[in-house]
Amino acid sequence: MKSISLYRDNGTWLCSVHPFTKLMYITFAILVPLFIHSLWAYAALIILDIAILISGKILKRSRPLIIFSLTIIVTIFIIKGLFDENNVSKLFSIGPIIFYKEGLMKALRTDAVIINMLLSFAAFVLTTRPSDLTEELEKHGLPPRLCYVITSVFNIIPQMMGTVNTIMDAQKSRGMETEGKLSVRIKAFIPLITPVVSSSLINTRERAIALEVRGFGSRSKRSFVHSWKKHRGDKAITIMLFAAIILSALWRIFIWLS
Amino acid sequence: MAFIEIENLRYRYPSSEHFALDGISLQIEKGSFLGIIGRNGAGKSTLASAIAGLVPQFYKGAYGGRVLVDSLDASRTPVSTLSSKVGLVFQNPFNQLSGAADNVYDEICFGMQNFAIDRDEMIRRADQVLSLMGMTEYKDRNPFDLSGGQMQRVALSSVLVMEPDVIILDEPTSQLDPQGSEEVFQAVDKLRERGITVIMIEQKIDKIAKYSDHILLLENGKTIGYGTPEELFANYDTTRYGVLPPAVVQIADALSFRKSNETLPVLEQDAIPLMSEHIIFTEARHTREEATDAIMRAENLSFHYNEGKDVLSSISLSFDSRPTAIIGQNGAGKTTLAKLLKGLLKPSEGRIFFKDIDTKNRTAASIAPDIGYVFQNPDDQIFKPKVLDEVMFGPLNIGMGEAKAKEQAMKALEMVRLETTLERNPYDLDLHERKMVALASVIAMSPSVIIFDEPTIAQDDDGKQMMRDVIAELAKEGKLVISILHDMDLVASSFDRVIAMAHGTVIDDGAPEEVFSHSETLKRAGLEEPHVSSLARKLGSNDTILTVAEFLSLARKV
Amino acid sequence: MKNNIFRTKFDTATIVLIPACIGINFIGKFFAQALKLPLWLDSIGTCIAACLGGPVIGGISGALNNIIYGLVMGDSISIIYALSSLFIGFFVGVMARSGFMQTFPKALITSLVAALAAIVVSTPLNIIFWGGQTGNIWGDAVFAAAQAASIPLWLSSFFDEVIVDVPDKIVTLILVFIIVKSLPEKLTSLYAGSDEIERLDQ
Repeated sequence: MKSISLYRDNGTWLCSVHPFTKLMYITFAILVPLFIHSLWAYAALIILDIAILISGKILKRSRPLIIFSLTIIVTIFIIKGLFDENNVSKLFSIGPIIFYKEGLMKALRTDAVIINMLLSFAAFVLTTRPSDLTEELEKHGLPPRLCYVITSVFNIIPQMMGTVNTIMDAQKSRGMETEGKLSVRIKAFIPLITPVVSSSLINTRERAIALEVRGFGSRSKRSFVHSWKKHRGDKAITIMLFAAIILSALWRIFIWLS
Repeated sequence: MAFIEIENLRYRYPSSEHFALDGISLQIEKGSFLGIIGRNGAGKSTLASAIAGLVPQFYKGAYGGRVLVDSLDASRTPVSTLSSKVGLVFQNPFNQLSGAADNVYDEICFGMQNFAIDRDEMIRRADQVLSLMGMTEYKDRNPFDLSGGQMQRVALSSVLVMEPDVIILDEPTSQLDPQGSEEVFQAVDKLRERGITVIMIEQKIDKIAKYSDHILLLENGKTIGYGTPEELFANYDTTRYGVLPPAVVQIADALSFRKSNETLPVLEQDAIPLMSEHIIFTEARHTREEATDAIMRAENLSFHYNEGKDVLSSISLSFDSRPTAIIGQNGAGKTTLAKLLKGLLKPSEGRIFFKDIDTKNRTAASIAPDIGYVFQNPDDQIFKPKVLDEVMFGPLNIGMGEAKAKEQAMKALEMVRLETTLERNPYDLDLHERKMVALASVIAMSPSVIIFDEPTIAQDDDGKQMMRDVIAELAKEGKLVISILHDMDLVASSFDRVIAMAHGTVIDDGAPEEVFSHSETLKRAGLEEPHVSSLARKLGSNDTILTVAEFLSLARKV
Repeated sequence: MKNNIFRTKFDTATIVLIPACIGINFIGKFFAQALKLPLWLDSIGTCIAACLGGPVIGGISGALNNIIYGLVMGDSISIIYALSSLFIGFFVGVMARSGFMQTFPKALITSLVAALAAIVVSTPLNIIFWGGQTGNIWGDAVFAAAQAASIPLWLSSFFDEVIVDVPDKIVTLILVFIIVKSLPEKLTSLYAGSDEIERLDQ
């Protein structure tokens, strides 16, 4: 069954780094340029993001994540460049359409934020096994029930998608068309979604029983069958990232005060 | 004191008026094997839930009497505490997976983690149970990708690692194919050998008869009978309570073969010494309908999902009005063939004709008025809040007028005896009734061809009898019934033609008495002949006898 | 009464409801795309969780939904909107517990409340993070037109969000109304039913 998680173990260092280290990197990547507040900082961070993706051999796999948000990245440029309220100085024009410098600079900043965020998340999402993340979170105090919810989503969605195909077949077999005019497609929506919703809700009852009889309701502390093999870089990287965040925050405070 | 003591247990589900359990008293000794039988709705699962503490703690409702498990009050001891004493495995293999693990090993450890069992101990138990259940090679697989039988063994394993004293199996094989069932029953064999107390609810009466030390017969939440299998079937007419006794019992009873202690033989090996030399058979004369003109034809049909890996290869078949059963193991290509006939899949090669017209340009939806397909799981199609509306959906889709659609729907619902549930919410009905709603919703479109996929899964003996009636009725109306089936007794009693498949090809095709006499092909298809055929053969019959009725009409006691 | 509205169970049945509802969000979105409908329909599950489990469960389902999409499926932008989903789930839960999912007209009112919650929370987020856009073509066209007409940024962004959310939430809650109405009582009683076990012996 096709997993919905984008994680693949490709054996690079990025996969064996602790999930928390990577989460720390995301925090770092978002906060530091925010504090420094310069386009150059974003540029530096984006280069760093890309360097990490390359060394983790996942640059190619992160492309779809960027393409997914490409529309908004482009429209921000167009709308800001054309219509922003602060637009005064004309930069260039295509026929009668005039792009302004102020709007484009603003768009550049916004897009830099988006791209930096997408890339730093890609480094996490593509290299972290979801169940490793939840298990580590649980070991560090996240409630087991919350962790269960997160993990089970990954296992349940592919199963539901499998049901979806059967439902499509079953309703087609009863003479229901799924292609054609908008009205036909809207009419098809209820017969398709209701069975999958109802049956997955009804299934929760049995699943709850299955969990109950396996001690899920017990309030005692859980034990774990896996233990995380620490990457030797984890501690050092985390400290460095944390220090960078603090330094840039101090820098911001310093600027404000002076 | 017995390990489990049940005293005057009464229970009513919330929002229900009648008692699901009504004054049950029972003692279960450690190490024994108890079978619980009765029709759907008799209270079997409720009783199982009461022993596990789920009734009343999970379901709430009204509760009276007492259930003690190893002197713990099951109605007040938290289910999670009780679960270290009582393990529960139920019908639906998929819903029993915790959803918390993406591999079998973690799935099995889930319960132990909840009990904070030491890591080394966890690994020791998991390895031990995996090898006991023959699942070691699957430990890194995603449990959701396994077959039903394998999933059920995972469920059993994850209960076993908790080292409970009692294991309750609530129809663990009712949703599995024969191979999957066999895998589960082999696992049950191992439990017996290890002296674990087992409580098993099961419609497969031959298995209950084979395993149980004692059998409890329930009806309307009350105990009807209790005793060893021999006693129970000798003393109670279980048929009245919706349970057909094993074929051996029916025959021994009808021909008055009793064991020395006046009980009836229950197993084939007990019956043969009693009966052999005392039965002679007259020759069978099967009268079968003559083949009529072809309604559907498949010409040189092949299908593959991935190039080079044929799921079906060059199948040529012609279907006439005889009811036709398609048998074979999972993966033999039965469902693929059925979906091709229905137009849900398009052949990679070859052609399909309905009444001499090629169906390749028709969508599954446009084919609906001619060919109907009843899916295995009714919950994959039910979406209307009323039974009648659900059944009218198909007829309205294919352009019948409101009045005509209603008339058709009523007729179909009468056929499956659901005419009193028109205004009910389908999801308030039980699974076996929902299956009948789904069936009616296809019959109501009045197609010339109706394809069933495993219609008897989750049905009790009443439900199976109803299926026989439905098939006979449809055949009488001149409709072609094609059914994928694993229930060989139903194949033997209701079908005039059997197609056996293996590895994407047809390996046998003929009347049931022919196909079931080819023991070599049966073996290749991984199938067993009906119980009664096997008994008759061992008693010296030269014919392939298909039903108990036929056995009794041909056999004479001497 | 107030106490009653926010009453929340955290038993196993309710916990298992949450992932199922997050899955339903996913399926809704999938069907909307497969049938090429001009709507998101990705909060059906959140609203069902809210109707069955109350405002707290609705809010949790909504927030977790977006966080999980972000952390696992790489849709990191959606994490920001966890806040909107949280409020949608919460307010639908409040409305449902106040009886506003009982009849069709009342469900429509609930849908407007849900849309309002989405708009009020999402608009500032849109402005802070993307300078006011939503990423939806129709909504952004309105945004562009409003900006061209020199309408203030927050108002343009508000219009953008209205175009995106109002139709979506109306359709979503109509579906939720139909689905929840048809759920069997033995299921709904798990979440809403009494916790009392009636003892017949005393």
